[in-house]
Amino acid sequence: MTGKARIVMVVDDDDMIRRLVRTVLEADEFEVVEARDGQIALDLAKSAHPSVVVLDIMMPGIDGVEVCQRLDHEAVKVIVLTARDDPALEKACQDAGADSFLTKPFSSIELLDLVDELMLS
Amino acid sequence: MSDEFLGSESPFPTLIDNPAHVEEQLMVFAKDAVAAYRRDKARARELEEALETLETAYLETIRSLAFVVEAKDAYTGQHLERCRVYGVALMKALGIHEDYPDAQYGFLLHDAGKVGVPERILGKPGPLTAAEWRVMRTHPLIGYQMVASIPFLRSAGEIVRSHHEMFDGSGYPAGLKGDEIPLPARVFSVVDAFDAMTTDRPYRAALSIDHASTELTRMAGTQFDSDVVAAFVPMCERLLVAPAGP
Repeated sequence: MTGKARIVMVVDDDDMIRRLVRTVLEADEFEVVEARDGQIALDLAKSAHPSVVVLDIMMPGIDGVEVCQRLDHEAVKVIVLTARDDPALEKACQDAGADSFLTKPFSSIELLDLVDELMLS
Repeated sequence: MSDEFLGSESPFPTLIDNPAHVEEQLMVFAKDAVAAYRRDKARARELEEALETLETAYLETIRSLAFVVEAKDAYTGQHLERCRVYGVALMKALGIHEDYPDAQYGFLLHDAGKVGVPERILGKPGPLTAAEWRVMRTHPLIGYQMVASIPFLRSAGEIVRSHHEMFDGSGYPAGLKGDEIPLPARVFSVVDAFDAMTTDRPYRAALSIDHASTELTRMAGTQFDSDVVAAFVPMCERLLVAPAGP
């Protein structure tokens, strides 16, 4: 079996968060693609074939929970990256097919561990 | 990624809008860096300790094996260990210690091949017959075959094979001469002879250090490598005063 492509998509409306996630992941030699909103994310998921998506919830337009529902979970694993430590939201994300949950401010080590883990699963 | 793929401006506040959040995020990253650094350091230390334990265990194993041979030979108690300590010190003095990391195992195992020599020959009180000498002289090659088949001990095996060679070519088993004899084996010949001379034997008392050094120097160039003797003589007194140690 060939390993998964080391491509990660970062979905967040905050330029700075995308930049932080990109910097951390590129430092570990992942290829990173960015989407600023939900619609772009869904389009990019089809064209860029990421293996893992790092997904914000509070976004204009299609929000993260809906993006998560509409992603092809056979093809991608989803890490929800959100500012709110909210059990109800976490439950909603899990129901939408999210694999992991990370809160802001986020730990770069936890992010790398999660991405690694999901790449292997 | 160009902006056209990124969509429109967001109405939500961003990280950069709240300096406290930026600080928090920076602090989390800084803690990540510290945690990674500490984890690395702790692992390096664990590895080092494990390696040390392994080396100690290895040395102890080799030592036990060598002592079995020594017991059979009924030779003086601490001869092997002193040869190892003297040999390692002399290798250090010659600056070749790191080139031959397994030399100390060769020093300990030099007579391992004696397990293949019958006890009636090893323990014979009187002089050996020519036939008995032929058997006795097989021990370096028997030992070499035992030791060099272990990959870690290949160069230790060279010491075992060549520890009875003489600098002028009159030794055995191959009659190697000068530089043909592996350097650690030339080192061993000197420390082995020194220890034999400076310890009590059933047939004579120990020689003084001066007497032993004079003997070594006298045999330099024939039995021993002169350079090795020249490095050993100035340090042998210190070694004898503070012997052993692990």
